[in-house]
Order: sequence, then structure tokens, then C-alpha cells
Amino acid sequence: MATGCMGPMAPAREAPDIQRALLERPSISIRKRLALGFLALFFLCVAVTAAAWMMLARLEVRLRFLEMADHYTMEIQQARRFEKNYFLYGTNLQDVREHLDNAKGILDSSGAEAEKVLPPGVLKQMREHLERYDALLRRLEGMDRAGTSLPLQEKAAVEAEIRAHGSQMVTFAMDLAQKERTTVHETMALFQRLPVIFLAALLVVSVLVANFLARQMLGPLGRLMATTQRIAQGDFTPLVPARRFRDEFSNLAVALNTMMRELQHRQEVLVESHKLQAVGTLTAGVAHELNNPINNITLTASVLEEDYASLSDEERLDMVRDLVEQASRSEKIIRNLLDFARESEIKTESLDLAELLRGTTSLAANQVKLSGAKISLGLPENLPPIHGDKQALSQVFLNLVLNALDAVEKGGVVKIEAEPCKEPGFVQVNVADDGHGIPTHVLPHIFEPFFTTKSRGKGTGLGLSVSLGIVRQHGGDIRVQSLPGHGSTFTVVLPAARVPAVGDKRS
Amino acid sequence: MDGPLHVLVLDDEPIVGKRLQPALAKVGCEVEVFDDPRPALARIAEKEFHIVVTDIRMDEVDGIEVLERVLALHPATKVIMITGYATVEVAREALAKGAFDFIAKPFKPQELRDVIAKAAAELGFKGLRQAAVD
Repeated sequence: MATGCMGPMAPAREAPDIQRALLERPSISIRKRLALGFLALFFLCVAVTAAAWMMLARLEVRLRFLEMADHYTMEIQQARRFEKNYFLYGTNLQDVREHLDNAKGILDSSGAEAEKVLPPGVLKQMREHLERYDALLRRLEGMDRAGTSLPLQEKAAVEAEIRAHGSQMVTFAMDLAQKERTTVHETMALFQRLPVIFLAALLVVSVLVANFLARQMLGPLGRLMATTQRIAQGDFTPLVPARRFRDEFSNLAVALNTMMRELQHRQEVLVESHKLQAVGTLTAGVAHELNNPINNITLTASVLEEDYASLSDEERLDMVRDLVEQASRSEKIIRNLLDFARESEIKTESLDLAELLRGTTSLAANQVKLSGAKISLGLPENLPPIHGDKQALSQVFLNLVLNALDAVEKGGVVKIEAEPCKEPGFVQVNVADDGHGIPTHVLPHIFEPFFTTKSRGKGTGLGLSVSLGIVRQHGGDIRVQSLPGHGSTFTVVLPAARVPAVGDKRS
Repeated sequence: MDGPLHVLVLDDEPIVGKRLQPALAKVGCEVEVFDDPRPALARIAEKEFHIVVTDIRMDEVDGIEVLERVLALHPATKVIMITGYATVEVAREALAKGAFDFIAKPFKPQELRDVIAKAAAELGFKGLRQAAVD
């Protein structure tokens, strides 16, 4: 049988092209995509960890600075307390100096850090106040050491200036500590929020990644599932590339295509072998039927030979006419069978269902005579044409008619009726017999390959399975109703051709 | 036994009767031919033939039925069956039911005449055999 394909599922391209197209796409394997997805998650974690680490380091700096600021504030406050004592009780200025030097030391040692934390200019102001305070203290000290006492007025001015700078210094120091405390608290609060933010982000990213991977995997999986169902229905159209890249699913698609090609081939072999079986059945009938014209020819020729001399011209002419007529009758008997049996390319064309059924019935005419049954054909005039392979469909109907003939008793009736189907766009052919029917327990199995109720050697059990295969390839279906003892009705549903006579669709 | 041998030929192919009629008349048979079993059976009910030649497979009534009807009415009649397609089962069934012999299509007139001659001989007719081989 030719390697052609049936009409409704005629592939746009040849199978090897599709296989190549499937494999020629750039490869992005599922493994890679999984790895990328998890790598993205990993980088998110790394980023969050780094951020946390950096924040922690900053917090540490802040805390240290806060400590320093507190220390500084305390030194300044101490200095001022001694300063107050000096002014009130005339204690020495030595203690004030000591604490001031400590404060200066702190400011000097932490100056670099303070620079980072404080707004520009503040540190300079602080130093200026400190320097000025220091200078004033030195002046007071110098005066005290000299024993000279300034005029009261001047002393009051110095005192006021010292107080002013001292209070400024305290304000700055406390302000600094306060600011720093606020910053630390803010950082701490941020630090508390971080895990929550991270979890939320992780959740979003996880959902996105999971969704993406699921879509990547479930999409092709669904498509392959649909394909397997399609294959079960007998549609062997190869899968064509649907995405711009290939992955493990592409390999599966290639394997499925290979499987479909094999199945298609097996199906063709099955159809052919079943056709040969049908030809065998028909041949017995044809041989039987041929005996009649051959016998007529033998008898006529023998009489013509025996009595040639004594026959009149008219009688001889009558005999010769009989001979010619019987020879052409023989030819007709064989021609149908030869047409059916001939190996031919599968080709789809617009078919007149009524004509197809009449041809099939005449093919089975000898079997009908042998069985002693009657065939009743019900073919309405205005049937829509169908689209399909003539020989294959003829095989389907012949098989159903032969089965029906096997089922009926002598004198039974096999009704073959074509009519538009209830489902729009379909036509149906009913082959009904009034024979023994199909037992209920057998009915579910009749379309299984190699299932037969006929005795060994009489049936291969391929007929109905092959017929169903052919009809499904045409986009149709075979249904059966049977009542044991009352007969069976097989209904072949076929799509009506929508476009009038498009001819052979094969590319 | 003397006199003509009465033969009925039944075959639903009209040419068979048309050709056998003169071919058997030639050897001294009184031949009636039918291509429809019903009138043939009616005629058999009216007249006892010496020999009935019937096709086995016919549309309306099959040869086995004819054989049974003939033998039921006239047990002495020799029935020769014509089988379209020499199947052993049908021939065996016919013989079991009392057919004298069977002849397979396609056959020549002489072959049938030989079988008829054998049957005639059993019935006690003389002279047919000589006529048959002329």
C-alpha cells in the first residue's frame, strides 16, 4: 500500500521534515530551566543575606558611635559640673580641664567616624565650641595663676561666654546622642522588618517560579496527552513544533511521531491484509457465479460443434450471440472484484455515497445469492457528497454487508440505508440485518482486533477493527445496536464534504 | 421399458434449457425445460418424469427441495443434480437424500447424456446408450 495519508488529517509537511523541524530548534532543556529557576531563588537569598550582613555592620558602627556620643556627652556634662563648682565655690579648674581633654580625645579619636554620621559642618562647629571653651578656660586659669583678678565686669563676661559655650556643647552632645539613638532605632526597626519583607518576596518569587515551571511542563504534557487521545481515535497526524525551542518533551514528540508513523504503517498493512481476506471471500462467490456463464458457453459451444452442419444460419448466429453475451457477462463478474482487489494509492476524492453503496452491493451480489438473503437499498436522491478514499470506504461497507449476510438466515433481509445524520455536517449509512443478533457479552468486544465469533479459518477478526480504523481516519465513527434474536444495525457516520469536490488534497 | 425417456430439465439459466433441449431430444428423450422452479414443480406434480435434471442453487427454490419433492411424489424417478460449484458437502447431501448422481458445471452435453444414459439403463431403458454415442 502506498504511504499516503487520509484526507482529513493530511499532514501539511512530510514526516521527516517535521521530525527535523522538531529537532532543529535551539535546546533549552527542562533541567536547565529548573536550574535557572532555582538559581534565581538562590541569588535572591544571597542578596538578602548580603543586605542583612551590611546592615548589621552599619548597626555595629552606629552602636559604637552612639557609645562614643554618650561618653562624650558625659565628659562634657562632667566638665560643666566642675565648671559650675568653680564659679559657685571657687574650686579649681583642673577637673574641668581633665574632662574637657577627655572629651577632646574622644572627638579626635572618633572624628573620622563622626564625620560619616553627622551632617557636614556640625563636627566643625562642635570643635569650634570646644576650642573656644578651652581657650576661655585657659584665660581664666592664666588669670588665677597670676593671682590677678580681673575687673569683675570682665570676669562676668568671660563667665557668661564660658557658660554659653558650655551649654552649646552640651546641647550639641545631647543632640548628637539623641540623633544617633534615633538612627539606631530606625536601623533596628528596619532590621526587624527585613525577614518579613524577605519572606514576602520569597513567596512572590516562589509562586512566579513555580507557575512558570508548571506552565513550561504542563503545557507540553497536556498537548502530548491530547495527542495520545487523538492517536487512540486513529488520527496519525504528526506533531508539529509549537515552541521556538526544544527540550525533553521534544524528544518525546519525536518518539510519538515515530510511533505514529509505525502505527500508520501497521494500519495500512492491516487494511490491506483484511482487504485480501475480503477478496478471498468474494472470490468464492465469483467463482460460483462464473460457473453459470462458463457453463452456458461450454454448452453452446459444444452444441455448435456437434451440430454445426445441421444447424440453420439463424440458429448458429443465435448461438454465437449467446457466446459473446455470456463472455461479457463473465467479464463483468470479475471486473468489480478486480477493481476492488487492485492495489491502489490511497487517494481522497469527493464521493457519491449512493453510487459507492450501489457498487459495494453489486460487489457482494454473488454472496447475496449464495446466502439466499435479500438486499434492500434505501438511497435518497439528495445526499451530500462525502470526502474520502473510495476503495477503503467500499471495503468498510462490503465488510458490514458480508457480516450481515453471515448473520441472516436464508430469506432474511439486509437493509442498507443512507441518510443525513442527526449531527449536522454528517451523513450516516445503516446496515441492518434481521439475523441472530450479537450476544450482549460479545458486543463490547466486536471492534477489538482479532476478536471473532466465526469458526477458525473463517474469520480473522480484523474486519470490524480495520473498518473502524478506516472510518475514524475519515473523521467518522461506527456505532452498533443489536438485539439478540432480532438482528443488528451498524451505523457508519461520516462527515459530509463541506467544500464541493476539492479533489485530491494530498500535498 | 420402451418408448421415449421423459426428462425434465430445470435450471434458472435459460440458455441451459435452450441448449439441452435439442441435445437430449437428439438421443430420443422427450424433454421439457424450465428456468423457474415453481412451474417446474407444478409440472412434476402433474406428470411422472423418468429423469429430472435440476440445478442445485436457484433463487426461489433450491435443488435439494426439488429433489425431495420429486422423490416424495415419484420415488422411481432418477434425479440428477447440477452443482454450480462442486462442493463436496452439497453433493454428499444430495446423494444422501436419494439423488442418482450429480454433474458439475461447466459440463458438455455429452457428459450429461452419459449420466442420463446410466440412469436410463438402471430404469431398464434400452437403446439410449447407442443413441448417445452416435
